[in-house]
Amino acid sequence: MKKEIPAEPLSDESERSDSTDPSEDVELSSYYGEDGEENGESGGESDSSEDEVSSLDDGEDRGTNGDVIKSVEESDSSEDEVAPRNTIGEVPLEWYRDEEHVGYDVSGKKIKKQARKDKIESFLAGADNVKNWRKVYDEYNDEEVELTKEEIKVISRLLRGKTPHAGVDPYAPYVDWFVWEDKAHPLSSAPEPKRRFIRSKWEDKKVVRLVRAIRKGWIKFDKPKEESQFHLLWTDDSNAADNKRHGVNYIAAPKPKLPGHEESYNPSIEYIPTEEEKNAYQLMFESLRSVPAYDMAVKEVFDRCLDLYLCPRSRKKRLNIDPESLKPKLPSRKDLRPYPTTCYLEYRGHTGPVKSLSVEISGQWLASGSTDGTVRVWEVETGRCLKVWDVGESVQHVAWNPSQERPILAGHDVLLLNTGLGDAEVQMRIKELLHVEESKSSEDTGDHGSAVRWFRHDKYDGIVLKHFKSVSTVEWHSKGDYFATVSRSVLIFFVATKKFVRVYDLESQRMIKKLETGCREVSSISLHSTGDHVIVGSREGKMCWFDLDYSSKPYKTLKIHQKDITSVSFHRTYPLFASCSDDCTAYMFHGMVYSDLNQDPLIVPLEILHGHTRSDGRGQIDHVSYLRVQEYYVANSILDSLGCSLLVQTPLSSFTATEMQQNDAEGFTL
Amino acid sequence: MDVEGSASDGSRQVGVRFVTKLRAPSLRVPRPPSPSLPTSPAWASPRSSTSSSKTPIPNTRTNLSTFLWMESLFACRSISSCWPREKVLEIEYVKAIVPKKQEDPCIHDDWVSAVDSSNGSFILTGSYDGFARVWTGGAVCTHILAGHNDAVTSARVINRKGHEGENNFYLATGSKDRSLRLWKFDAAEHVDHPLRIGAYKILPGHTSSVQSIASDPSSEMICSGSWDCSIKLWEVNGSEAAGDTVSIKKRKLNSTSSESEESQLEGAATSTLLGHTQCVSSVAWPHPQIIFSASWDHSIRQWDVQTGKEIRNMVCGKALNCLDIGGESSALIAAGGSDPILRIWDPRQPGTLAPVFQFSSHSSWISACKWHPRSWFHLLSTSFDGKVMLWDLRTAWPLVKIDSHNDKVLCADWWKDDSVASGGADSKLYITSGIEIH
Repeated sequence: MKKEIPAEPLSDESERSDSTDPSEDVELSSYYGEDGEENGESGGESDSSEDEVSSLDDGEDRGTNGDVIKSVEESDSSEDEVAPRNTIGEVPLEWYRDEEHVGYDVSGKKIKKQARKDKIESFLAGADNVKNWRKVYDEYNDEEVELTKEEIKVISRLLRGKTPHAGVDPYAPYVDWFVWEDKAHPLSSAPEPKRRFIRSKWEDKKVVRLVRAIRKGWIKFDKPKEESQFHLLWTDDSNAADNKRHGVNYIAAPKPKLPGHEESYNPSIEYIPTEEEKNAYQLMFESLRSVPAYDMAVKEVFDRCLDLYLCPRSRKKRLNIDPESLKPKLPSRKDLRPYPTTCYLEYRGHTGPVKSLSVEISGQWLASGSTDGTVRVWEVETGRCLKVWDVGESVQHVAWNPSQERPILAGHDVLLLNTGLGDAEVQMRIKELLHVEESKSSEDTGDHGSAVRWFRHDKYDGIVLKHFKSVSTVEWHSKGDYFATVSRSVLIFFVATKKFVRVYDLESQRMIKKLETGCREVSSISLHSTGDHVIVGSREGKMCWFDLDYSSKPYKTLKIHQKDITSVSFHRTYPLFASCSDDCTAYMFHGMVYSDLNQDPLIVPLEILHGHTRSDGRGQIDHVSYLRVQEYYVANSILDSLGCSLLVQTPLSSFTATEMQQNDAEGFTL
Repeated sequence: MDVEGSASDGSRQVGVRFVTKLRAPSLRVPRPPSPSLPTSPAWASPRSSTSSSKTPIPNTRTNLSTFLWMESLFACRSISSCWPREKVLEIEYVKAIVPKKQEDPCIHDDWVSAVDSSNGSFILTGSYDGFARVWTGGAVCTHILAGHNDAVTSARVINRKGHEGENNFYLATGSKDRSLRLWKFDAAEHVDHPLRIGAYKILPGHTSSVQSIASDPSSEMICSGSWDCSIKLWEVNGSEAAGDTVSIKKRKLNSTSSESEESQLEGAATSTLLGHTQCVSSVAWPHPQIIFSASWDHSIRQWDVQTGKEIRNMVCGKALNCLDIGGESSALIAAGGSDPILRIWDPRQPGTLAPVFQFSSHSSWISACKWHPRSWFHLLSTSFDGKVMLWDLRTAWPLVKIDSHNDKVLCADWWKDDSVASGGADSKLYITSGIEIH
């Protein structure tokens, strides 16, 4: 049941509002004030004023009719609605000075100018007519208006600064027409009247009408929708709730091919074979039971299962990424010069695989050890072989003493050799040194049992160190699988075992770090001149770059070589490092280490150096090392002495089976 | 003489005129020929014709047996980038340089590491066997300078004119045994058997191998560059007294070590120029006040002899093996090193380190370079690829390639203005003569 009574359907409403309107009018008109005389008859007056306004709208005979003006004056509110006879608007009237008309009326007709009276005529008219002084010339409408008595009165009151109408008392006591006594608020707080809760008469009628219509069955109510008894068997069920549970990426299983009429045991008429077809083969069966087993059933089920199994079950987002953009941004190789590119020098003379190389600290000499049992010293500049020592057994490692004053070569695995490259005084000192070492070592022998024994080499004026297990020289340590290098600045000692690199602090004699290479077998190790970076080569062709400050795991692992890496080496001044392998190649890398600790080292592969000959699949480059300050890159290859047959074809091979190559750093720059 | 002609190839026509300064009338191009230029694209664009301008064109006349070489001068001097068709190209041609004869090599016992043939009457060589040899007339070994304990790396003739007569020469050698030795020998005496002579003065002081020697133009001093990164200046005849005292000391020492040598003087370096960080591989002393040095530390430095200060330091990016000063008003620097390019700098050009010329026909390291003593344009270079090449600054290709060596060439020098003496790792000194320089 509605509380409020809807407005439209009630036919009584209009009557009710009609009845209220006049009373409101009365109140308003009395409020805005009229002349005192007219107050009493305000009710009738208002009615007539409305009529007058409507008649003024016609605008035909305004101005001539004094009543009209009077009525206009009587109702202030309607005064604005009186339109002037002329319609030209607020334009300067002088525009019409020379015209015959003063403007246009509402219907667009010209308003003719009236004939002007001259001064005498007007004076005479004034003299004749006593009321002529009341006439005012309306320039806009080009007419004379005679002011009424009331108007004069209003004007005179206005001139005197009083209210236009005499009946208005500006100081009248305020009559509070609103009754405040029983109202706390301007809105009534009275309880809702009962009529607002009961239906009105017309509502009653309407209800009666509806009830009657329902009783007579004119109005029918909606029945609840029945779900269809049948549903589409083959409809797409991709919207089914089951399929949505997997989320957005879910893809429904592929649909099997639907059976058609061909498969039906009771096909529709157009599929029923003709007589000839029937004769050719029996297709129809009495019942489903008489249908023989479908021979392909198992295969089709299997195929279906396969489809279900292999189909993609989730939507994969395919990203269209340019594979080029995924490559790390590496600087151009041209910008990273100098680095070795071309082989210019070969050091010929060894007859067996060269196992080890070492460059003297000044860069003038180069020592090499070979399996042919010789240690040779070469002049780097020209490739001349200066000295040969035949030590009898294959030489595994040679190393120069890093101090420039003592040109001692620690070669073979047990032999300290005097290279004889110093001047006389140096030579003397070396001889003394070697002697002292002999005597000292004998004491050592006493102390440490038989760990190390020192002998004097009878032939070459050197010292033989007999070790049972480990072979050591001044700066490096080698035993079978063990390699070591010493960083002299911080007294840290690196020992590489098969899988790990152990870092020892020599001063406190404890292990600082253990680097996990992740390789099967470490074959070589090299330390960057800053002491914070280590590269490790492994037998499986992997090279690991360690940042000692960073982690014990490799910063970068480079899988480059096909075969064993035999040696890795850092350049001491240029940001270069190299690795060489049994596959006869040496790789050159740019390895920039920044002093900014936040910046990772930059590793750029630069060049693959070929040039060593392979023989019997055993060609090897065995050792890389850099000259200290030169940009030369020295690598030597191994040629098995059995492989000389291959070399004989080349003209210079008659005396060499081994070649070492010296490459210039920058190669051709044209 | 002028010969005019024009060549056409399709739309492109170039008028050429062959000009030569050769006297012999048989070498002149006949007057009215139409020498058809090989109008390859190289001819179409003047820029590229600089590189191909050494194309030998067989002479139009059959009775001329010599090849004519086009000078690249025309390309450099008279061709602007846009060649108007009306103009006639002037091509100067000269005779091709063909080494006349190859004399029998002078066989050494070991690698020939140094050669100096600045004197026309003999050639001085240094060898890895520790001896320096004097080959009179370029054929016969007359003197063997014995005394060094290790390979001789450099040898130099110190011409001391008017000192003790025409035939007395002073020689200086530097060796890997860290010393320099000064020798005196008389070229006049003729001997059948090689005469062994000893040094009259030993200059020890370097702490590592001496790599290079140069002598003062006034022949009063020599300078030496060494592996100990220093350059030392020595006086040739120094103060005898000081030398004597040293030699006495030395003799005492030597007596204990049972080495008895004849009256040998020892001298000390008058000054040492320090600054290089690597082996000083080559020094040159072209002007009494200026020493140039090249080093393995990639730099060429210019030193002021008076103050011992370094005036200029040019870094050229390569380890350098050789250096020579010559060319136009003896101001150009030619140097080669650990790459196959021979570079020539003009130190008078301010503010640039770019070489003015680059010659890159070698295939291995440059081991020596030498300006022609007379010509402004010619220099020779040797390389580890076994070739000696003669270059003309006005061309891009070598005038002559001498490949008589079958191993690394280590040193070379001009001899008697038209011959080249070169020694190498095949232990031979070859003298190639008949090289005419125009």
